[in-house]
Amino acid sequence: MAVCTVYTVQSLNSTCSISTPNKTHLGFQQKQVVFYTSSKRSSKRGGGGITCAAADSQTIVIGLAADSGCGKSTFMRRLTSVFGGAAEPPKGGNPDSNTLISDTTTVICLDDYHSLDRTGRKEKGVTALDPRANNFDLMYEQVKAIKDGIAVQKPIYNHVSGLLDPPELIKPPKILVIEGLHPMYDKRVRDLLDFSIYLDISNEVKFAWKIQRDMAERGHSLESIKASIEARKPDFDAYIDPQKQYADAVIEVLPTQLIPDDNEGKVLRVKLIMKEGVKFFNPVYLFDEGSTISWIPCGRKLTCSYPGIKFAYGPDAYFSNEVSVLEMDGQFDRLDELIYVESHLSNISTKFYGEVTQQMLKHADFPGSNNGTGLFQTIVGLKIRDLYEQLTASRAAGSLQATKA
Amino acid sequence: MATVAGVSLYTPRLVAKASDSPKPQTIKSPRLNHPWKMSTRFGSGRMYVPPVAAAPEGLSNLVAESIKSAEEACSGDPASGECVAAWDEVEELSAAASHARDKKKDSDPLEEFCKDNMDNEECRTYED
Repeated sequence: MAVCTVYTVQSLNSTCSISTPNKTHLGFQQKQVVFYTSSKRSSKRGGGGITCAAADSQTIVIGLAADSGCGKSTFMRRLTSVFGGAAEPPKGGNPDSNTLISDTTTVICLDDYHSLDRTGRKEKGVTALDPRANNFDLMYEQVKAIKDGIAVQKPIYNHVSGLLDPPELIKPPKILVIEGLHPMYDKRVRDLLDFSIYLDISNEVKFAWKIQRDMAERGHSLESIKASIEARKPDFDAYIDPQKQYADAVIEVLPTQLIPDDNEGKVLRVKLIMKEGVKFFNPVYLFDEGSTISWIPCGRKLTCSYPGIKFAYGPDAYFSNEVSVLEMDGQFDRLDELIYVESHLSNISTKFYGEVTQQMLKHADFPGSNNGTGLFQTIVGLKIRDLYEQLTASRAAGSLQATKA
Repeated sequence: MATVAGVSLYTPRLVAKASDSPKPQTIKSPRLNHPWKMSTRFGSGRMYVPPVAAAPEGLSNLVAESIKSAEEACSGDPASGECVAAWDEVEELSAAASHARDKKKDSDPLEEFCKDNMDNEECRTYED
């Protein structure tokens, strides 16, 4: 690989502009100063002389959408773990920064693009779910800049104070993950994504999870948890939920069907919905690609405890897309169950036998490590690693070709 | 309306700073100042301080306050923007409190303290 790996971070060569909001009717804080680069990068790909273009340093952008409190952070920890190395907040920066950085990956939280701070939203009577509370122009500009190899000064939304803090420098990583409420809402941002995931948590499960999360918190009660979910639901349905139609992979979390009338939310039925025909993404399958299969792994070879484990696989339609769906209901109680299941799945993009099991065990303390949420999150992590490797390989080959020509 | 605005005029950043700082927690442990009394301190295993389960006090207060003001904001019209935005704030703060709890669970206060104070007496490790 003689291709130049020095990446030219053309960070602050542009004019730092004070963004003058053109949507003043939204109560955008006039005092807020946002720096961002708006320079155009001159592409020299394929020309004579320097061919050190974006070829193998170009950032791959992944979008992860879900509502607040639906497992985005857990998913991010699993994903960065697959790439090796722990993801940590930027060193020496704002302790309330929402960013996570590892060797390969930078995860940014899209709440940082709130155009209205907490007080502003309160005054206007809009939620954070409402597009009017978010600055999609800046989101697009900055994600595009990073994708083009340009560092940006990204604002920081402080979840404790509810204010916008001074910005932090984000350098172009190998993989940029944008996670939050609206990664696929704006078409311009959506078109920048190399892969997108939507975590779709059913109402029953969302309620159960939030009870688990909040009941111990002072001031909270069943009523307050319910009221909060219900109050946010119209905006959620209008602005967040529709994004799932654009996702390359959807992880749907539902109550189990193994226990009749279960509403505890402990045992889960999880579906991994994978879009067909996405470049460098080959859906996972069970036994025979494209067939419809129902599989109960518990039997003579494997003993499972109540309520058991059930898998399903098959082709389906999701919105107007052709998809493959893999479903797991129930939970793993023992290690041999997990390895048994892993050995029967194909196209999981592992590098060695048992890698899924190893990842799940490594993070046994994360929520969902014994059920389909952990299993499918890990598998999607492996699929993203595979996609990244294929994409960079094809770009390197492309640039080599261009150099030769 | 005026009262609602009044309720929300907390000074959250100060509160957060104070509660996020690792120092007060490390000082709380009397054993910290007597490392020679801790046999487990030697070798690679540093002293273990049990994780604190609760969210930082400041955030917990904010959550409780936000619930109260949401209930007030919704007493008139439960479908109003004011009411919905207030419950959204509850969600945001509850999520922040939960993240803060997770962070605390993961982190060892001594490790955190020693990251920034490598030369401190408390942070020395000894072979043998």
